[in-house]
Amino acid sequence: MTSPHRLVVIGNGMAGARLVEDVLARANGDRFQVTMFGDEPYGNYNRILLSGVLAGTQQPDDIFINPLDWYTDNNVTLHAGIGAARIDREAKVVYGSDGRAEPYDTLVIATGSVPFVPPFENLAPTEPAHGPGPYKDGVYVFRTLEDCERMLARAADVKSAAVIGGGLLGLEAARGLSGRGLEVNVVHLMEHLMEMQLDRDAGLMLQKSMESLGVKVHLGKATTGLLGNGSVTGLQFKDGSTLDCDLLVVAAGIRPNVALARSAGLEIKRGIVVSDGMATSDPSICAVGECAEHRGLVYGLVAPLWEQTAVLADRISGRVEDKVYEGSRTSTKLKVMGVDLAVMGEKQSRDADDEVVTYAEPGRGVYHKLIVRDGKLVGAILLGDTSAAPALQQLFDRSTSLPESRASLLFPMGDAPAQLSAADMPDDAQICNCNGVSKGAIVGALRNGCKTFKAVCDATRAGTGCGSCKVQVKAIVEAVAGDNLQDDPAAHYYVPGVAMAKRELIGAIKDMNLRSVSQVFDVLAAGREDPGSKAGLASLLKTMWGNDVVEERDARFINDRVHANIQKDRTYSVVPRIFGGVTSAADLRKIADVADKYNVRMVKITGGQRIDLLGLTREQLPEVWKDLGMPSGHAYTKAFRTCKTCVGTEFCRFGVGDSTALGIAIEKRFQGLESPAKMKLATAGCPRNCSEATVKDIGAVAIEGGRWEIYIGGAAGAHVRKGDLLTTVDSQDEVITLTGRFMQWYREEAKYLERTYDFVPRMGLERVRAVIVDDAEGIAARLDADMQTTVDSFVDPWLEAHAPVHPSQFSQVLEPAAVPVAVEVRASRAEALAFRGAEAGR
Amino acid sequence: MTAPAAVDVVETHCPYCALQCGIVARTSPTLSVVGNRAFPVNAGALCAKGWNAAAVVDHPERLREPLARDRAGRLVPVGWRYALDRIALGIRDTIRTHGADAVGILGSGALTNEKAYLLGKFARVAVGTANIDYNGRYCMSSGAAASNKAFGLDRGLPFPLEDLEHADVVLLAGSNPAETMPPFVRYLETLKGRGGALVVIDPRRSATAQLATIHLQPMPGTDTALANGLLHVLLRDGLANQPYIERRTEGFAKVRAVAAGYWPELVERITGVPEKKLVEAARLLGTSARGFVLTGRGPEQQAQGVANTLSYINIALVCGFPGTEGSGFGILTGQGNGQGGREHGQKADQLPGYRSITDPAARRAVAGVWRVSPDSIPGPGKSAYELLQSCGTEGGVRALFVMGFNAVVSSPSANEVATRLASLDFLAVSDFFLSETAKMADVVLPSAQWAEEDGTMTNLEGRVIRRKRAVAAPLGVASDIGVIVGLAERLGKRKWFAYDTPEDVFNELARATKGAPADYSGITYAKIEAQRGVFWPCPSAEHTGTPRLFLDAFATPSGKARFHAVKHKLPAEAPDKEYPLYLTTGRVLAQYQSGTMTRRVAALNAMSGTAVAELHPQTAARLKITDGGRLTVKTRRGSVEVTAKVTRDIRPDTVFMPFHWPDEQSANRLTNDALDPISRMPEFKVCAARVDPLVKDSTKAPGSTDLGPVLRDLSKDTRS
Repeated sequence: MTSPHRLVVIGNGMAGARLVEDVLARANGDRFQVTMFGDEPYGNYNRILLSGVLAGTQQPDDIFINPLDWYTDNNVTLHAGIGAARIDREAKVVYGSDGRAEPYDTLVIATGSVPFVPPFENLAPTEPAHGPGPYKDGVYVFRTLEDCERMLARAADVKSAAVIGGGLLGLEAARGLSGRGLEVNVVHLMEHLMEMQLDRDAGLMLQKSMESLGVKVHLGKATTGLLGNGSVTGLQFKDGSTLDCDLLVVAAGIRPNVALARSAGLEIKRGIVVSDGMATSDPSICAVGECAEHRGLVYGLVAPLWEQTAVLADRISGRVEDKVYEGSRTSTKLKVMGVDLAVMGEKQSRDADDEVVTYAEPGRGVYHKLIVRDGKLVGAILLGDTSAAPALQQLFDRSTSLPESRASLLFPMGDAPAQLSAADMPDDAQICNCNGVSKGAIVGALRNGCKTFKAVCDATRAGTGCGSCKVQVKAIVEAVAGDNLQDDPAAHYYVPGVAMAKRELIGAIKDMNLRSVSQVFDVLAAGREDPGSKAGLASLLKTMWGNDVVEERDARFINDRVHANIQKDRTYSVVPRIFGGVTSAADLRKIADVADKYNVRMVKITGGQRIDLLGLTREQLPEVWKDLGMPSGHAYTKAFRTCKTCVGTEFCRFGVGDSTALGIAIEKRFQGLESPAKMKLATAGCPRNCSEATVKDIGAVAIEGGRWEIYIGGAAGAHVRKGDLLTTVDSQDEVITLTGRFMQWYREEAKYLERTYDFVPRMGLERVRAVIVDDAEGIAARLDADMQTTVDSFVDPWLEAHAPVHPSQFSQVLEPAAVPVAVEVRASRAEALAFRGAEAGR
Repeated sequence: MTAPAAVDVVETHCPYCALQCGIVARTSPTLSVVGNRAFPVNAGALCAKGWNAAAVVDHPERLREPLARDRAGRLVPVGWRYALDRIALGIRDTIRTHGADAVGILGSGALTNEKAYLLGKFARVAVGTANIDYNGRYCMSSGAAASNKAFGLDRGLPFPLEDLEHADVVLLAGSNPAETMPPFVRYLETLKGRGGALVVIDPRRSATAQLATIHLQPMPGTDTALANGLLHVLLRDGLANQPYIERRTEGFAKVRAVAAGYWPELVERITGVPEKKLVEAARLLGTSARGFVLTGRGPEQQAQGVANTLSYINIALVCGFPGTEGSGFGILTGQGNGQGGREHGQKADQLPGYRSITDPAARRAVAGVWRVSPDSIPGPGKSAYELLQSCGTEGGVRALFVMGFNAVVSSPSANEVATRLASLDFLAVSDFFLSETAKMADVVLPSAQWAEEDGTMTNLEGRVIRRKRAVAAPLGVASDIGVIVGLAERLGKRKWFAYDTPEDVFNELARATKGAPADYSGITYAKIEAQRGVFWPCPSAEHTGTPRLFLDAFATPSGKARFHAVKHKLPAEAPDKEYPLYLTTGRVLAQYQSGTMTRRVAALNAMSGTAVAELHPQTAARLKITDGGRLTVKTRRGSVEVTAKVTRDIRPDTVFMPFHWPDEQSANRLTNDALDPISRMPEFKVCAARVDPLVKDSTKAPGSTDLGPVLRDLSKDTRS
């Protein structure tokens, strides 16, 4: 086995560390023994982000691309904080600043660049002990994390800063310091800012934008010296004027860092001269990055650096031994003082054959310039608005032929094509993608007699897939049908037979004092009785008027007519009220006696902690009630059902709240309360939640400190939903008040048969909380009062045992043969069939 | 096997995608379907594929008897006994001359759990070959590998779909459910209705992207750069969920360092996504209390599919989503039983229950149930594409048995795959129709369809559901289970395949997964019916299933989720002067996968009947192509002729093609067969292509209902 190839890299910055990563990505780790020298005492960080650190938008910890453990993980020896002092090309050894020797097979120089600081007068510290650097206190260059940290330390204590240099780096420094609250002056020798990247017009516009942000710009100013003795206090200009400052950043440009290479005798021009293979004049030594000069160019942007490291890594690793670097097309994108700027390639046209496209909008600080040569993009400046940059960048990078309309380059015609209105759409426009339904098909359905939105959907299958097209289908239906359109009753009406939403319906019933279902039909539905609407209306009237309703028993389901629950064999079940599930020996004895006397076929403890007597005939019901002498448990109707409880505090070792007493109080207060759909409640004495209060329509759970959490909208049936925490209260009384308030609001706002688990999400928990807890709509007192009225008017229906409402109420004889059994609206015919099918299949 | 008498209404599931929408199938007067409102996943909704599910059952082109190639090279009807004898002979001859590993078996994510399980057992016990894999390799392998690496377990969605509705933000990366699984979009609509945001990442402004609050439209093949850019902004802006990262994850420091190298300006340059939108999306994610990150085939079907998926997982972890109730990371499975299909042992490296075939304990456990010696179970075999590549080569697969996998249309570099199949000694295919792959076979078996047999499927949520028999299969059509049992018998292994019903198979499957990652041991047909589905794992009779995974701990040894530092790499093939555009592929709503079923349904062809290539107007204008014009798309692997669809929905540097069509319209003749190093997933989603206007006469109407090619192919021996 051959010994590993010794790769030594001088420089641990954006180019040096990247090169090592690139090599390792291309070769087995054990093929190379990699050693690196780095001036700075830590791993490699992202120098691009230093301006973010200065501005405070980036944390120093977040800019490290290769923290120290990266080097150990990858078996790279990093001499952190140790620069390279000398190269012995004969012996192929690099000596570190601490004298250590590292022999190499291949050496890569990636020493980057150093800031250029002109020889200003009074630049040096007055005495050597004053300050750590070669400059006067308060004077900085902007190159390293350390520079950045020192600048920040001073910025915290001073008021004004000057930046010498109106190029990219200077403006980044100005942005950072301005963001830290300093008054910033930018001093620039040239006639406009960023002359390397921008043309004059763009430079002036950028200046305006910067000045509007509070940065002062001084153009054409040559600095000759610094003012101040210990620390810098100002600048002296060639024209005799001066400028005060407490902090100075010198950003007058950078120079390739070639000192080491020069002393090693490598060929140097502006930078270390490299071939297309990135080799220096010594074939064992390569150079990459800002220190290298390739085909006469030195690059200072990160993208070209990385293109160079990729080429060199291909060669070193042997993946593509003859890979060549042919130079880079430069472009950059940045924010200058929060002003977006993107520049690519050339900034000025070369000759009259070049096509120059410009667009300027000085009011918004927007300036665009494209240079097109032979139908291809060779240069671009986008200032103030860079939204076209990603697309232009690609056209520039790949030298793609441009579309004829140059405007379309600068103003991409929107992501979204303009939406045609429903009326303007052609007939073949596809509306429902899921089922391939065109506008024409929807129009056809309307012509063929569909009168509602729902009918159109059923007929065409539009909207039956993902449902996203419903808005469009509605718009077409409305546009085409116009006045002939019937709105979809299921969507808005409380019941299909009366064309009113619930609120409107309640208003009308109140206004006209309607007390019976048939009155409602007469007055509000032109006398057209809709059997499917009767039960809902009866429920609503009961909610509104309590006992002051003119009962019309055919408006109600059989269950509500005979106050018992019809079973599949047409017998009935009777559930007496047992408040909070707490009973007594005497009551149990009564129940047992009834069970014996009437030959009850099954005695069953229900899920709600009650006792169900099953298999009774209709005629037996009044007698059973009389014998029981207990109130109705309302196990049959759309109403408050039961409040399940746990043992509470009296006996339970864990209980922290008396859930039993609370449950009984709730059940006593709200028994028989009619509502849009059934309501199952529970109270739990501790968060162990034995009574499952968090999956009830309303549940109260005791927590430490005598407090109660109230949950609403829970369910544990065919649909399972964890209740939402409405609020936490301090007392049982508050639980009862809020429970009643919520129930009343639900009674008023919910659709018929809409359980709380649909109601709460539909209203949104925030809204429910606002109304019930915070009284944001100012109706709490009214809700409480209406609930009190309802509670006061409660009459136990089983008292009808003593006086039947009409002679045949409990006799089988007059009952029509085909009584519709209560049908849950949620179950479609298809489902009903499905269940039957499933049963048959078993 | 005798079937129960057909009933007139049956609650079952759609035969297509992984959503497995509940349907109610009515059997009289003819088979028809409606959405099942009682099934929570779709609550009655169906897309056009589902509505038309009945049309494939009683279809005139349906295979109704076995076919075998005669001496003249024609496929002719034969009896079942002959067909099975001939397959068994092909297998036995190959084992004798080349060894058992020269027999290859390819299964499918469309098979029921029972069939997938049985096919895996058949390969290992009856044939003794290591070389079994399935078409899910092209679907979920990258996502599954990434999930296993990050969370220690792969269940596509470790939470029920209903959780999506309550989130503040959902990020969908490279998935187009508005076309691939439309009823899924109802959850997104509800989310938006509640004020939640939808972020979509897709090089196309797809039907789903059009619903997005923010659409990021990156260059194909730049997912990791984009995800790392999002990560950078999340960290930069202090939006990382630090307590979660400390408590529930490991490996963050390295990811943070990688993110430092992906600042927004750079990411914009790599991906083409404007910095402003990147930052906007990151802030949406980072400021949401409840959120989801979901990936699809976009990032996964690449040679860096696993890395791409891991980069999106990193985002979810930094936001603290995975394993948090009401939040999460998930992968949207594509095929109907893509989930169950990868759990029960038809994957080259796995045994039932998601057990590793190299784990001695797993081998012992399964061997015990199978009543074989652990040593007799072969080791890991070749992945699907590598298996196909080896066909007919020295030391490769010589005889291949394929069940429900139309490899000639769905594999990358499809021309090469057809050549390989043609060089086999023996090929047998079981399918409903004479698929493009079946056309090349020596024996073709007609298989029963979704409405004709019982079984279970596992949908994208890990919910095990019942597929139920509604009608009797046509005379002459057999269940795949019967086929496997019949072949096992002919290979002298009947004793190990003693089943009377699919339920018998399921019960054995359940035992074989006891204690495994995907533990089905507590699931029974009765429990599935009673609960309308059971989420695995369900380890005991009393257990009701596990809708949400990872709430307490992840399935890694430490219980923590793992970050993985991943960097952007160029796709295997980048555009150049000769092939200057990216080609990316995907699906359209009215067609499904290789189109074997949907291309035969008139109602679906009326919506999308032929392949198209989507081009941006700028690109089209440059190439002098007009909307509706004919063009060729060419790559280094092949060339196709399709119709141009000029639309602003695609990036100017990219051409998009759906992959459902065969022959001259086959997108997969173009795609790149570069494989992910870990998942062996081919790079379907990005390669270099060129587009040229087609000048020659275009009167020949392209159409999948044209039977010409089928008949022509039947009349010649493709392997001569």
